[in-house]
Amino acid sequence: MSHPLDDRGGDLRALFFESAYELLQTLNDAGLELETHPADPEVIRRVRRVVHTLKGDSAACGYLGLSEMAHELEDVLLPEIGQVRGAQLAEVVLAAADVFDSLLNAYRQNVEPPSTEPLRAQIRQFLKAATHTPAAAPADNRLTARFVWSEYEQLMISEALHRGENVYNLALRIDPQSAMRAAAFQLVRNVLHGIGTVIALHPEDNSAAASVEVIEAAVACTMTEEAIARRCKIPAIVADLVIARATPAETPEHDLLSELLEAQATVTVGAATPAQGAPEQRPSGSASAVNAVVESTLRVETARIDSVMNLVGELIIGKSMLNRAIVEFDRRHAHDPLHAKLLDALSFQARVLDELHKSVLKIRMVPVEQLFRRFPRVVRDVAKQCNKDVALELAGQNTDLDKGILDALAEPITHLVRNAVDHGIEPPEARLAAGKPARGTVFLNAYHQGAQVVTEVRDDGRGIDVARLRAKAVARGLLSAADAERLSDAEAFNLIFEPGLSTAAEVTEVSGRGVGMDIVRSVLDRLKGTVQVSSQLGQGTLIQLRVPLTLASIQALMFRVNNRLFAVPLSSVVEITRVSESEIHRVDQREVLQLRDHILSLVRLSSLERIHAVEARKRSFVIVIGAGERRFGLLVDSLVGEEELVIKALPEEIITSDLVSGASILGDGTVVLILNVSAVLARLSRAPALGAIA
Amino acid sequence: MEKDLQVVGFRIGDETYGVRISAVREIVRVPDITVVPNAPEMIEGVINLRGKIIPVMDLRKRFGQAEIRADKKNRILVVELHNRLLGLIVNSASEVLKLPPSEIEAPGNMFSDGESGYVTGVGKLKGRLIILLDIAKLLHRPEFGRIEEAAEPVASMR
Repeated sequence: MSHPLDDRGGDLRALFFESAYELLQTLNDAGLELETHPADPEVIRRVRRVVHTLKGDSAACGYLGLSEMAHELEDVLLPEIGQVRGAQLAEVVLAAADVFDSLLNAYRQNVEPPSTEPLRAQIRQFLKAATHTPAAAPADNRLTARFVWSEYEQLMISEALHRGENVYNLALRIDPQSAMRAAAFQLVRNVLHGIGTVIALHPEDNSAAASVEVIEAAVACTMTEEAIARRCKIPAIVADLVIARATPAETPEHDLLSELLEAQATVTVGAATPAQGAPEQRPSGSASAVNAVVESTLRVETARIDSVMNLVGELIIGKSMLNRAIVEFDRRHAHDPLHAKLLDALSFQARVLDELHKSVLKIRMVPVEQLFRRFPRVVRDVAKQCNKDVALELAGQNTDLDKGILDALAEPITHLVRNAVDHGIEPPEARLAAGKPARGTVFLNAYHQGAQVVTEVRDDGRGIDVARLRAKAVARGLLSAADAERLSDAEAFNLIFEPGLSTAAEVTEVSGRGVGMDIVRSVLDRLKGTVQVSSQLGQGTLIQLRVPLTLASIQALMFRVNNRLFAVPLSSVVEITRVSESEIHRVDQREVLQLRDHILSLVRLSSLERIHAVEARKRSFVIVIGAGERRFGLLVDSLVGEEELVIKALPEEIITSDLVSGASILGDGTVVLILNVSAVLARLSRAPALGAIA
Repeated sequence: MEKDLQVVGFRIGDETYGVRISAVREIVRVPDITVVPNAPEMIEGVINLRGKIIPVMDLRKRFGQAEIRADKKNRILVVELHNRLLGLIVNSASEVLKLPPSEIEAPGNMFSDGESGYVTGVGKLKGRLIILLDIAKLLHRPEFGRIEEAAEPVASMR
């Protein structure tokens, strides 16, 4: 594979991949839509636009294999074919999306791209079958125009439009049979000059005329499109013609090419469709308007945003340093008028900093739609594979979430969706027998809840058989039979996250992809989130993933144990209470506390660490911590207070403690460790000696 | 004529050790160390190094020194390993030593066996013996397997 690019090549290719994967997603979406509306010419045209852009972009980046493949696919993307064989066309489009995807991956990893021959064969066969139908368009009817003008030419076009003139982009294909190419070129040129003012003309002179096939031009004139078309269609010389209205400086949606070409000081004008053929195929004003949408988004490397984010984090630490200094100042010079001034300045700074912090966080926020949109295809494929009829319903796509968190959620949610289709939803016959509609439904939903985002994967399938789950856990030696009995249903459901535990009777290809349910929990742990499973046998299963809005900072409650400072996310704190040693009871080797009418399991950090507490205190605090439905009480010596902590990751390779999920630095430079609540809970359930949680 | 090898010299117990100067980012006094629950035993905890949180390991424990007492001369060598900073507590550290290549000998048999592959040579300077260490290999222990994998080949000192 040759890459005819200079040093900027790396940047361009990175841009290309980013854009190409988006295009693929659009292609998948459109392919699925085509499946439901096989004859819709608008959908076919959309597919074609995407494929076309992909073709141009990949060619510009030197990925000729992909470009050629896209070109061949374009051949079959005709509304006429869709009329007759739309369903099969959708199949081809989806298959092509997969091939493009594997090509892209290969390019990205610099490995030999896979063979595209199966797809080519599929397309050829499809085309052969399709040409038997009278509606099929002759193959030579295609003329794709690029209309790439230089910056100067673009400026001229904009100015002409500004003056109120009509500017048309014309592309004319010289009849390949024409014997005198140069003369033909000259003739066309004369005609164009006769129409109006020629602003741009490619190629510009006769030198290239002998080999040229397509002449592209931008002409300012007062004629109508029809009149121009009549003038330009010179028999035996012009074989094909495209006319499109030019619009002021525009970048077609998703057109990576324009971004690439910016570097070469050229601008892409308009996307054109052939002017002959069905009337609705002519570019309409509204289509141009869509293209004219000014690019108001900016692609920025995540690392750059992260560095801004880090600086804001440092500023927040700086703020709390200042705060402490002012408190200290107040102590020493109690009635100094300067104190008020300092406080004013500090609160002003704090306000601005808060805004800054929020704005930076917002930069990283993206709608979950970006993740959800891939699932229609996933559900379709899995359902097809296991011969089920499954619909996917999406809600809450506009819920914003930190990009990093969203990316991390992709794998667990994909796994849960696959599982829901593969294991959750029953085969149609079984559903009918159970009095349910034959078509099962998987629901994906996302919404905000406080400083957290909840993502739900729900299905109306067979539900989880708790009794079987318990039995299996005992059989695998994860629990003793007595412990298994003691687990509440809510706790027992959590057993599905244990590695190697699945109630699926048979392992299918779909679920045997190497990611188990345990990955769901480990990802959520890493994100300081929680998973909650609820299920009703025969009715379906609901899995809720709760993650913080952002990983950058948290409101935390700080406390001391054995003179060591720790923090827990405030969102996990349910309540705080004081206890004296006499109120703590020992039941079955674990310490519990009666809190109103509930029994709460107590945890001492020292017992988790297997070290001895320095001293037994008469009175201490209990922080009641909730993760999902489960609660436990953390015994601490003293409470330090609430503070916004900027989270700094611990170097995972070295600090492998699961009990700590991160750390932060306080204003006085003290390091505070953030406790991993779900890991503490997991310990509780895994260590029967400490007992299960009531 | 080969250039002198510059090493940061530090002491643990009665021995003087040296690591290549390019491997050391800075030398700081020992601040408060925050102990991390359930961290590997070799890791003392984490410290705040001007806004960065870095783990520290006690080299004195690593070298099996029986009695560890904190004193004012103790220092932390901050080394960089796979783009990550790591602090190493030593008894004292101050000098940069210049060792002419002619004064460096390959590690003898006494170092070649077992886990002692981290000794890359022994330098002689004004009658003192300086044991030259390879930090990346030094950290190669089962629990640090991932560090070793991830670390760039700081490898041999010469």
